[in-house]
Amino acid sequence: MSFLGRGGSTPTGGVNPERIDMAVTELDTVTDFFNRMVSSCHAKCISTRYADADLNKGESVCIDRCVAKFSEVQKKVGEKLQNRGAAAASAGGAGSFTGL
Amino acid sequence: MDGDFPNEDMFPAEEPGPPRPKFEPRFRTLRPREMSVNGAEGDVKPRKVSGIRTVLSYTGIPPSWLDKRPKLPSRNWLIFLSTVSTVAGFYIYDRQQCKKIKREYIERVKHLAEEPLGTLERPRKVTVYGAKWPGDEDYDQSLKYFRKYVKPVLVAAAVDYEMINGKRHGELARRTADEIKSRRRLAAGIDSPSPYTEALPTRLPPDEEYKQELAGGIVIVGRPAFKEFMAGLQKGWSEGLEKVDAEEDLAQELSMDGRFDEPEVPEEGIAVEATAFTPSPIVFSPLQHLNQPKPAKRSGENISSSLNTPPSTIPLLPPLLLVPFIDYIGFTQVPLMLWDFFNQRHKVRAGARAAYSLIIGETRPFDSPSAETRLFTDITTPDNEAPSSDIDFDRSAEAYYKRSTSALAGEIEKARTKFYEALPAKLATARALARGEREYTKEENERPPPSEMELRAERLKKELRWRRDLEGWEIVKPATKVAWDDRFKDILRLFVDPPSETEPTLSNDS
Repeated sequence: MSFLGRGGSTPTGGVNPERIDMAVTELDTVTDFFNRMVSSCHAKCISTRYADADLNKGESVCIDRCVAKFSEVQKKVGEKLQNRGAAAASAGGAGSFTGL
Repeated sequence: MDGDFPNEDMFPAEEPGPPRPKFEPRFRTLRPREMSVNGAEGDVKPRKVSGIRTVLSYTGIPPSWLDKRPKLPSRNWLIFLSTVSTVAGFYIYDRQQCKKIKREYIERVKHLAEEPLGTLERPRKVTVYGAKWPGDEDYDQSLKYFRKYVKPVLVAAAVDYEMINGKRHGELARRTADEIKSRRRLAAGIDSPSPYTEALPTRLPPDEEYKQELAGGIVIVGRPAFKEFMAGLQKGWSEGLEKVDAEEDLAQELSMDGRFDEPEVPEEGIAVEATAFTPSPIVFSPLQHLNQPKPAKRSGENISSSLNTPPSTIPLLPPLLLVPFIDYIGFTQVPLMLWDFFNQRHKVRAGARAAYSLIIGETRPFDSPSAETRLFTDITTPDNEAPSSDIDFDRSAEAYYKRSTSALAGEIEKARTKFYEALPAKLATARALARGEREYTKEENERPPPSEMELRAERLKKELRWRRDLEGWEIVKPATKVAWDDRFKDILRLFVDPPSETEPTLSNDS
């Protein structure tokens, strides 16, 4: 981080601290999404008996569907939120922006 | 209350007091005269009471509770209770049976889900097709049926499924046809597969992929979906390979008909315009579509005719599972709905059996209508007496279509006429405002009228929907037969019920 910070301080580095922040936020979002997905799909699909080291067929089909559904919903919700955010920003100006 | 107990009043209260019946009916309101009689009760010899009764009487329990004798509830209560318990009994029994049947089938296929599966292997996958039921606004009914009755067994057997639904009539047919065409394009080398899927570690070579698909299956729920699927299949395998942008074609076609043309004398105002633009009634028939000139090929798409001619043989299709399904709608079918509500076990059994036969995967060839019989039946016998083949799958379900569905074409026509009658006025407003010939009125400021561009877009959208609906209805309507092509004869297979000895438990428990 210090290297990046230094890079940002030099005028020729071209690293924009705002962008770094955005990237960090995005990474956080993605990590959070992934963790949630893993935990809920694990809870849904994998039995706690752990009889086998590998996934069996039923579990893998379940996980496939679970992950697909999860990311689909995530996408839809994201779109909705973005639309709403855009609408709110255009209606109330910059002040009404709330963290999505 | 007294009116309900006619027998009580047969012994009027004027009876001599002291030899009263010991247990007079409870709940009877005491009338003033009786009160006095009760006052004299102390003279009557004391009742013999049991020890328990004596003890309990000191516990604060009201004595009337202690004297309670069991007796049948009143007539009305009996009626009420018996009705409620009968209905509840039917319901509970049915749902218990449903669970039992489902459990049995799940037990039978469970072992399939317990096999290990490598990370890059793929489970068996089936495609499920459903279509809108004519007359039902809820287009999802057939897939709901699938989800409720067929899916649980598939999930238990770890068979993956993909559901494809037609939201409007004809959508499924179009989709099937498009899919087939894009595959043909891929196979002919016109398109190349996307580089992203190529790079995936799970990617299989095309022939492997095809093998996987054949091992899967196709589930078709209901007669409308079957008709649409077959129509799509036929269309996809008989049309050319050019990419057709239907919206673009329609826009071009619509731009010719002059509904948005300026009237010659714009000064004369709206009234004249309205008459000038009254649309001539469009007689719409499916033939109209056939007669339309084929759209010109898109630039950069010169498909050689050797690739473009429809093939004389069609590669094998995954086996079909035809699931009968009837969607009861309308007031006249309420009794059937009620009956259905208390007999879900039959649907559960049918669905589970269907799923089971798919999982076991025994197939037989499609019993295709032979050319002679088709010709023969077309000419002479009415449809109902035609010898049945698999193409008649679930044909009786068509009797349950709402009668109003047959008026669909008329309704579309009416909507179209109405739209075009209202169009010139809207257009005049839009143009007048656009050219600044008059000011916005107060209402128009609040709710601006559509501009000409918006009107054009709206018209295109509506026309597209009307035409597609009609096209779809032409496929689905009972008078139309299921599309058939002699090339289908050897490529279609059907899942069959596994032989009965493999299901010993089910035959006797119903």
